[in-house]
Amino acid sequence: MSGNTAGQAIEVRSVTRRYKNTTALDDVTVSFGKDAIHGLLGRNGAGKTTLMSIITAQLWPSEGQVEVFGQTPHENEQVLPKICFVREDQRYPEDALAKHAFKAAADAYENWDWDFANRLIADFKVPQKTKIKKMSRGQKSAVAVIIGLASRAEVTFFDEPYMGLDAVARQLFYDRLLEDYAAHPRTFVLSSHLIDEIAHLIENVVLIDGGRILLDEPVEDLRDRAVTIVGRADAIAEFTTGREILHEETMGRIARTTVLGALTEAEQQRVRELDLDLQPVSLQQLIVRLTTRANAENTAEVQS
Amino acid sequence: MTTATMQNTESTRQRSSFARVPAAFRLQFMIPSSLIWVPAMVFALAWGVSIGIGIWLDALADDRIPAEDPFYTGASQAALWCLAFMAGYAGSHTFPFSMALSYSRRVFVLGAGLAFAAVSAAFGLAFALAALVERATNGFGVESYTFDLPMLTEGPGGVASAGLLAGLLCLAVMLLGFGFVILFKRFGLMRMWLVLIALALVLLGVVMLITSQGAWPDVGRWFVEQNALSFSAYLAPAAIALGVVDYFMIRKAVP
Repeated sequence: MSGNTAGQAIEVRSVTRRYKNTTALDDVTVSFGKDAIHGLLGRNGAGKTTLMSIITAQLWPSEGQVEVFGQTPHENEQVLPKICFVREDQRYPEDALAKHAFKAAADAYENWDWDFANRLIADFKVPQKTKIKKMSRGQKSAVAVIIGLASRAEVTFFDEPYMGLDAVARQLFYDRLLEDYAAHPRTFVLSSHLIDEIAHLIENVVLIDGGRILLDEPVEDLRDRAVTIVGRADAIAEFTTGREILHEETMGRIARTTVLGALTEAEQQRVRELDLDLQPVSLQQLIVRLTTRANAENTAEVQS
Repeated sequence: MTTATMQNTESTRQRSSFARVPAAFRLQFMIPSSLIWVPAMVFALAWGVSIGIGIWLDALADDRIPAEDPFYTGASQAALWCLAFMAGYAGSHTFPFSMALSYSRRVFVLGAGLAFAAVSAAFGLAFALAALVERATNGFGVESYTFDLPMLTEGPGGVASAGLLAGLLCLAVMLLGFGFVILFKRFGLMRMWLVLIALALVLLGVVMLITSQGAWPDVGRWFVEQNALSFSAYLAPAAIALGVVDYFMIRKAVP
C-alpha cells in the first residue's frame, strides 16, 4: 500500500469494533482501490460482515476511522447514495414482493437501470407473486444481487452473494457482474468463504481472520506467494530446508509440501535436478494455509 | 495527504443532504396496504360495527327516545392503534431495508415522520368528515356517535378542532409506536423494559404527588376546562419532541 490515497474508494484506518465479550475487528487498516473488484475473504465469523457494515455506516467502529471517497459515511448523504450493501440475511418490509423492493431501490439510486434490472429478473427467474419473506434462499440471494447490480452504485458490496444460488445462477451472476463492470467501471467488494468460486473475478484479495487483516494483495502477486512441490520425501526435505513450510503431507516415501515464496531460477533448476514436480497453489489452498498458519502463531503466542 | 484530488466529478459533486427525503417518504408506502389500506379498512369496519350495534340496540329497546339517550362509542380509536402498530413495523422492517438502500438515518426518520404526518392528516380529515356525516344523519337515525363526540366537537372550532386533535393524536401515537421499536433495537429487550418501568414509576410519582397534595379536584377541573383545540396545543409540541427523541435513538441503532 502506498501513502497516496487518490484512487482509493475506501480507507479504513485502525478500526476496532468490540461487542460485549468479543472483538469483531481488531485494529484493522485496509484500503480498497477505486474501480476494481475486491474479494473480502475469510472464514465464517472472521469479521467480514462487521467490516462491510462499518464501511457502509450501518454500524460504527468502537475506535478508528472509515472514509469512502474521502468522507466519513456515517449520516453523510454526500457519500451514502453512492453505496449499496444488501446483506445476506437482509430484512424487507412485511409482505414485500420483489417488484416492491426493486421500485424502492430505483427510487434510492439515481443511476438505477431498469432495463438491466428487468433483464436480470428474467435471467434469475425471480418469482413475481411470491413474498420475499417466503422465497427460497437462492431466490432471496437473486433479489439482493439484482439490487446490487442494477443500482450501479459507485461502491457495491455483495455479502456471500452465491448463497443458495445453483451453479447456473452463480455463473450468471459472475458473467453479468463482469459484463456490467466492463461497461460501467466501479468498485465492488465481494465477501466470500468459498474462495475458488470468485478467484477468477477478483483483482485484489483482502483476507481477514479473527478480526485482523492477514493479507491485502493483488491476486496476481498472490499466485507467486507459494508453490507446492511433489516428489521423494528425502529430496523434498533437502530442498525445503530453511524455507517456510505452509503445509506438508506424506504418503509413504512421497511428499507434498507447500512452501512460502516464489522460487528463484536456480531453485527451479534444482527442482528439476532432484526430479521433483512443481504445482501451482490455488487461491483457496493458499488462503487456507495462510489462515491456519496465522492461527497456529496466535495459539503459540497465547501458550508462551 | 491530497485526498480526492483525482476523483471524477461524479464522486465529488455536492448535493443537498435532504435530496432523498421524498424517496424516503415514498419508501414508507412501498407496500400500500400497511399505512393506507389496512388502517382504512379498520377505520371503516370499526365504524360499521358500532353503527350496526347501535341499530341493533335501538331495535331492542322499545322505550328508547334516541335524541334523549344517544349512544357514544370508542370505536374511533381502532384505526389509531392499528396505525401505531404499522409505525412499529416501519421501525422493525422498513428501517433495515432503508439501511440496505444506504439512506442516512436522518433522511429515513424525516421520510418516516413525514409519512406518519401525511397519514395522520388523512386520519384527522376522515375523523372530521365522519363526525359531519354522523351529525347530518342524527347518528344514522339512532343517535349513535363514534366521531361526533361532544367532548371533542363542541369546543371552539367544532368538528375541525376535533379533526386536528385526532390527527395530532395519531401522529403522536405513531411516533410512539415507532419509538418503542427503535428503543428495543438500540438498547435491547432488558433496557427497553427498564425504560418502560421507569416511565411507569414517574407516572406513579405524579399520581402520589397529586394525592398527597389533595389536588385531584384541581386536576379534574383542568381537564373539564380543556377542549379539542387546547389539547391540540399540548399535543403538537409533544409530537415534535417525540420525533426528535426517535431520531436521537435511531442515530446509533443497528438495523
